Amino acid sequence: MADRTLARRTFLARIGVLGAATAFGSAIPAALPRTAAAAGSDALLDPLVGLLRPVLAELARDTLSGLVVMTCPGPDRFSHAQGTPRSEPGAIDAGADDFIINALDNFLPFPDQIATPLATALTTALDDTGIPLPPSLHSLLLGQVNTVDRALMVILRNDQTVPLSLVVGLLLNLLATQVNPLSITGSLLSPFARLSIDEKCRAFELLEGPNADLLAVLDSNLPEPLTSSLSGLLQFLAGALLEFSAFGAHNEFAVFDPDTKELTARPVGWELAGYQPDGVVDGWDDFIGYYEDRTEVGA
Amino acid sequence: MRDVIIIGAGGGGPVVAKELAARGLDVLLLEAGPRHADPESEWTHLENDANNPLSGFLRFGPENRDAPAWYRETPQNSFIWQLSGVGGTTQHYFGNSPRAMPGVFTGYNGPDRDAYDTAHLFPFTYEELVPYFEWVEATLPVQTAAMGTKESVFFRGCEGIGLPVQTSKTTTEDSFRPQENAILQPGGWAGKLTGRDDPRLRFPEATGCTFCGYCMQGCSKPRGAPRNLAAKRSTDNSYVPMALTADVWADGGRRAELIADAYVTKIHTEQRGGETTATGVTWRVGATGDYHREDATVVVMAGGCTEDPRLWLNSALPNPNGWVGRGYTDHFFDWVIGLFDDDTGSTRGAASAARADFPGRGGMENVGLTPGLQQFAATFSDSGIRGHYTNGRGPEGPWDGTAGRMIGDELKDALTNGIDRLLNVLVITDDDVEAQNRVTLSALPADEHGPVPKVRFHQRERSARTRANREFVARRAAEMLRAAGATKVVRIDWPPLLLHVQSSMRMGLSEDDSVLDANAEARWVKRLFIADNAALANSLGGPNPTLTAQALATRTAEKIFSRYFGGDAWVGRESPVVSTDSRISAQLTPSR
Ligand SMILES: Cc1cc2nc3c(=O)[nH]c(=O)nc-3n(C[C@H](O)[C@H](O)[C@H](O)COP(=O)(O)OP(=O)(O)OC[C@H]3O[C@@H](n4cnc5c(N)ncnc54)[C@H](O)[C@@H]3O)c2cc1C
Ligand code: SF4
Repeated sequence: MADRTLARRTFLARIGVLGAATAFGSAIPAALPRTAAAAGSDALLDPLVGLLRPVLAELARDTLSGLVVMTCPGPDRFSHAQGTPRSEPGAIDAGADDFIINALDNFLPFPDQIATPLATALTTALDDTGIPLPPSLHSLLLGQVNTVDRALMVILRNDQTVPLSLVVGLLLNLLATQVNPLSITGSLLSPFARLSIDEKCRAFELLEGPNADLLAVLDSNLPEPLTSSLSGLLQFLAGALLEFSAFGAHNEFAVFDPDTKELTARPVGWELAGYQPDGVVDGWDDFIGYYEDRTEVGA
Repeated sequence: MRDVIIIGAGGGGPVVAKELAARGLDVLLLEAGPRHADPESEWTHLENDANNPLSGFLRFGPENRDAPAWYRETPQNSFIWQLSGVGGTTQHYFGNSPRAMPGVFTGYNGPDRDAYDTAHLFPFTYEELVPYFEWVEATLPVQTAAMGTKESVFFRGCEGIGLPVQTSKTTTEDSFRPQENAILQPGGWAGKLTGRDDPRLRFPEATGCTFCGYCMQGCSKPRGAPRNLAAKRSTDNSYVPMALTADVWADGGRRAELIADAYVTKIHTEQRGGETTATGVTWRVGATGDYHREDATVVVMAGGCTEDPRLWLNSALPNPNGWVGRGYTDHFFDWVIGLFDDDTGSTRGAASAARADFPGRGGMENVGLTPGLQQFAATFSDSGIRGHYTNGRGPEGPWDGTAGRMIGDELKDALTNGIDRLLNVLVITDDDVEAQNRVTLSALPADEHGPVPKVRFHQRERSARTRANREFVARRAAEMLRAAGATKVVRIDWPPLLLHVQSSMRMGLSEDDSVLDANAEARWVKRLFIADNAALANSLGGPNPTLTAQALATRTAEKIFSRYFGGDAWVGRESPVVSTDSRISAQLTPSR
């Protein structure tokens, strides 16, 4: 029992939840009535869920900020953390973090039949690799950790739809701590966001390639016949995360007013690219003529 | 009871609708997605608003953009880029309309006859299709592309690697040329003026392509032009207006009826004289969730390569040889980016107006993209991340370093060098029909239209010929870019991007590996025809598929008319009416 609790605590540390939760340590009760978890909700648990939800949203945002700056580093702290600060604006200035969170939570038609078991895996997985936890993550009592864990379960399992941005964020953090166990603690909220860009690439290598460790954590929760689809869907996810980040960091999403269909400012990506310096056009003066003056060809 | 019901108003369906409406048949055209009746007010020229595959106005999903896109399972790194809506995927196609290679047809006897996918030839000759090519080329119309800066760079590179220029419609040797495309050549002020809200860039002071650079966001230029005079001849601008006005331009023609937001969920059949025979369809109205059923003498599937097999399987139609959904080809694209020190005009003008072809290998064309899509394309790879990991691939060649996605500083530097100082080349592989690449039904839960399609591509186990062809063309692309003056060349090694899609319900010589006979009628369901890219026998040797699919759909319309309506063929006997005809314009409300 104690082993299981310790292993679970380590896992929570790896996915970033433990670090995020220590921020409000004294508010976490050390013990809950047995009924709390079963009912999925409880007078004692509810306030904690209320506290934890925004913290986890921040954790997800930090993680995905660490993702989007891979495709467009700028002057922000995430680009600094990955070791590629730039003076011109980057993905964060372009609102790519909002873009990717919005895409994941509101639009990506990623089936719940896959997302739910992934979320479930994150609520049950253990880590007995013995990664030592730094002192900063020891401030919560094991009973408090258990309480946090129950609150996490409520958030991941009881939502109408799974908050995919959180699931993806936790998954990236898990990979981050596989790549570099030291990323379990530090500045920023998310282990993934603490990695150097080289290490982030290594995390993607693990997500995209055959990764027995990851599949072992996730696989057992999937109903047949979906297990065979899982590694393919992870490959799809790895690609999509980078491509959507790149798209979001350079398009007009953040400065588009859907009511007027006009832009409120020049998109960061346009400025970086030198794209249409005077904005949208009806045409360009770029018609040179016809190659060898041939305007039509025969059969 | 209709004469003909057509499922899907994309590249192929409207062709059959127009041809049979012109013959006076009662035609119903059903389209799952929205109808963008007034693009000037409904659309923007902004890439996220337009092209976000999850929420853009050009996506594969329902009319209501707050509702999620329609899901397809893709159990590999890959991306399906097909659209719903009137015009289908042609709404954002590039209009390039090369003819298929002669070598992919039965009876071809050129010296290169063994160089193609000879196990999966078209069940008739190239010569037989030529009059249909001509008919479609005159109808759209197809013209020689005007040249902008990015074309001049591409041509310079092609000259530099010693390719000759092709001056005919039929390709006979390795060569380059301006595209033959379904884009009206610029007239008046078009292409001669940069500006916005300038009256000289409005119709009729400007006609044809204004070089606006928004082909991927849908063409509504020049402003103020009637829909059938918009520069790019996507079917929403060409064949659909013709089908809907057939009574005014065709003797004895009858207007086709178009219903959008109508998703066909079932094809009905009955046994007649011992044969399974199509009798009609049921569709679901997106806005209300109501179902409608109508019967018809003939049913035509044109929902595209992914949805046709799904609808077939969901309708429990027979599949005795297991080839429904198999043999899907995608031209196994790749992407090579060249960085330059000078202006390339990448974002100006029609998206892709120059090409080179390598018979038996494939071809390549230039493509200009907007910033977000440019960076999307540069991070879409099966070879990991350049300089970090290769994901088990990472080919090397005349490009810089190993192939793979760019990331971080390299990706940003490529863009800040200037989007108009780079040139993208799309590598188009002459790929083989292979049984393993296919559409089945997903085990994931059904949506409101039934079980969803699962699209499986085994890109790493493609045939040896396919893989060798792709390497060949990728090398030529890199060499061409260097010859044009690129200072850096990056090969991305794309995973499957399903955008040129073909042959998932193929016609063929043998009933062992085809779904359709030589008339495009289903082998096991009478009165059921397929008239989109899915009907193509193979990947055409690499040419962009739409023109050939449209020529075939024209031929199929004739087969339907003669076989089930007792009429005569018309191609080769009559002259086609061009889709820009003023009688059609007069019927259309001009846009603002
Ligand atoms: C960016 C891009 C550029 C391209 N450029 C070129 C080019 O330059 N040249 C070229 O030849 N090709 C090009 N293509 C490919 C071209 O778009 C396709 O070849 C063509 O659109 C295929 O026509 P289709 O009829 O097979 O399918 P689609 O055009 O995809 O049309 C199928 C239609 O059927 C509807 N549908 C599906 N299922 C149902 C159902 N059950 N009920 C009712 N409706 C249904 C869909 O909503 C859709 O509108 C390009 C594609 C892309 C994505
Ligand atoms: S570049 Fe030409 S064909 Fe393309 S959208 Fe603009 S006007 Fe239409």
